Amino acid sequence: MTVKVGIMSFAHLHADSYALCLKQHPQAELVGIADHDATRAKAKAHQFETQAFSSYEALLASDVQAVIICSENAKHAQMAQMAAAAGKHILCEKPLMTRLEDGKAMLAAAQGAGVHLFTAFPCRFSPVFQQMRQMVQAGVIGELLALRGTNRGSNPGGWFNDPELAGGGAMMDHTVHVADLIRVLTGQEIVEVYAETGNNMFHGRYDDTAMLTLTLENGVFATLDSSWSRPKTFPTWGDVTLAAVGTRGIIEMDMFAQHLVHYDDRVDRIRQAFWGDNIDYLMIDEFVRVVAGEPPRTLATGEDGYRAAAVAITGYESARFHMPLSILSG
Amino acid sequence: MVKVGIIGLGTMGRQHMDAYRQMPDVAVAAVYDHHADRAAAFAQEYGVPIAGDLNALLAACDLIDICTPTYRHAEYALPAIEAGKAVVCEKPLARTLEDCQRIVEAVKTHNTLFMPAHVLRFFPEYRTAHQLIRNGVIGAVAAVRMRRGGDFPRTKSDWYADFEKSGGVILDLIIHDFDWMLWTLGAVERVYAKSLTFRNLQHLDYTLVTLKFKNGAVGHIEGAWCDPGGFKVNFEVCGDAGMLEYDSTRQVALQVAARAEGGAGGVQVPESPAVHNPYYLELRHFVECVQAGQTPEITVDDGYNAVRLALAAIESAHTGRVITL
Repeated sequence: MTVKVGIMSFAHLHADSYALCLKQHPQAELVGIADHDATRAKAKAHQFETQAFSSYEALLASDVQAVIICSENAKHAQMAQMAAAAGKHILCEKPLMTRLEDGKAMLAAAQGAGVHLFTAFPCRFSPVFQQMRQMVQAGVIGELLALRGTNRGSNPGGWFNDPELAGGGAMMDHTVHVADLIRVLTGQEIVEVYAETGNNMFHGRYDDTAMLTLTLENGVFATLDSSWSRPKTFPTWGDVTLAAVGTRGIIEMDMFAQHLVHYDDRVDRIRQAFWGDNIDYLMIDEFVRVVAGEPPRTLATGEDGYRAAAVAITGYESARFHMPLSILSG
Repeated sequence: MVKVGIIGLGTMGRQHMDAYRQMPDVAVAAVYDHHADRAAAFAQEYGVPIAGDLNALLAACDLIDICTPTYRHAEYALPAIEAGKAVVCEKPLARTLEDCQRIVEAVKTHNTLFMPAHVLRFFPEYRTAHQLIRNGVIGAVAAVRMRRGGDFPRTKSDWYADFEKSGGVILDLIIHDFDWMLWTLGAVERVYAKSLTFRNLQHLDYTLVTLKFKNGAVGHIEGAWCDPGGFKVNFEVCGDAGMLEYDSTRQVALQVAARAEGGAGGVQVPESPAVHNPYYLELRHFVECVQAGQTPEITVDDGYNAVRLALAAIESAHTGRVITL
């Protein structure tokens, strides 16, 4: 049976990848898209050979079973509540929310409507990460003591540089993936956050540099660099790395190390040609299966998304007061 | 001829001896180690005279080179400074800020030449990065990450394992990176650190330190005495006009893999050959300062500031508080 999926907004660039995954999926049908930017809706509908609905309401009134929300961060809450009210299952782009109260409202709306609310954390699906998790849990490095993570990128520009729409800068954009990986790896909650931010990269009114220190329930500590510090000439978009330090050794993961180096004279650049598994596809595949009735296994729930976003939200408060803070839980 | 006396004949003492031997205008006139057997073996191997005590060493030399464990630096440095000798002292300057202060005051009172041996400044990869950054090639610095570490250092007396003597991974190891950052980016506003130092794990220490610089840059240092994968360093400095990165596991000039005798096992050793190694360059700089009566490029205040920052990071790791400098 075909699973009918719609996409609400293409504001976030990950929408293109998800649309492509849906097009490639044998069991999924990209029924249509909606976007407050009518020109973009039309262009994306053409690009992905699907229908552009005139409004989000019109898309939700159709026979789609599920939606993927890729709006600006601050608009996730309103769209998720609309989708839940229409009885549609939801996969929401990260960060789930920019304010704790928005996250609470999203979780309540999904629960009240009896629909699934998932957070788009594809890194969980990485076979590289999964193997690291198995090895750490099998005790290959003994007792886990500390973690060191990075999720650096280049500045995506546009609304990402408008704190009203993005909910912050680099720290809001790039904290949640690795915060989520740390929760999955350890089975522990993050209980304390310290963050330093800076804006020496772009000199804007948003943070382009962010360094978080996280403490878990069991005392394991971690740092996480979520800066937009990749220069324009960097060979790829950024990185996801995580090192685990234990009593018997260290495991260092570089999630996107599986690439060729491509010296491209056509554009005078050195690039990376990735050959690892497509983690977006692995995530979309499970989402499609779950909408079709299978139980979720690896997908991040709304609660997972909430807890990861709370790390970034707490980070901004910590950076403001220059002190470590207990995680804000709302 | 500059007459050099070396105090402390362990790993660093040997490293420095090897460097002085390459300088025709330098004579190692005396060596001293409170382990008499080690001093005797060293003197025989290198053919240099043993001093019976510190006074004998001071009487025989113009330049005193202190290579003892950290907690004994002040004990040897202060009499040498008071005797008017030029002194090069291994990093960190001293174990406590009080000892550092005494050394700073002694150097100023007696107007002597003094250099804390922050040898990292003479490692060509770090020196080149410093110069490029100071020349503005990457613009305003926004973020700097440095990593240093390997397995836990083992010595005859195992003094590294005694926090009261060594200061652990933060004071002993990443003092290098603290000094490089201060040298390259200027003063630090505040520091926050997490560390395994106070977990009292046997021969295992690890730290992650976050720094905020007065110029707005954010820094991160990882220090590891827990990595069975061997000694590795890397750094990455991001600015608004570009980025510089170095990784000792990737930029390897000679990778040697030799099978052990009998065909079993074997080790891989990365090498970075150069005309002169960084210890030679560092000590040569100081010898030339002594010959010309010039202040060395690493000052006693630099040594003090690096220890002050490291101790602030230790205090943060110990108390859980952010330390403003």
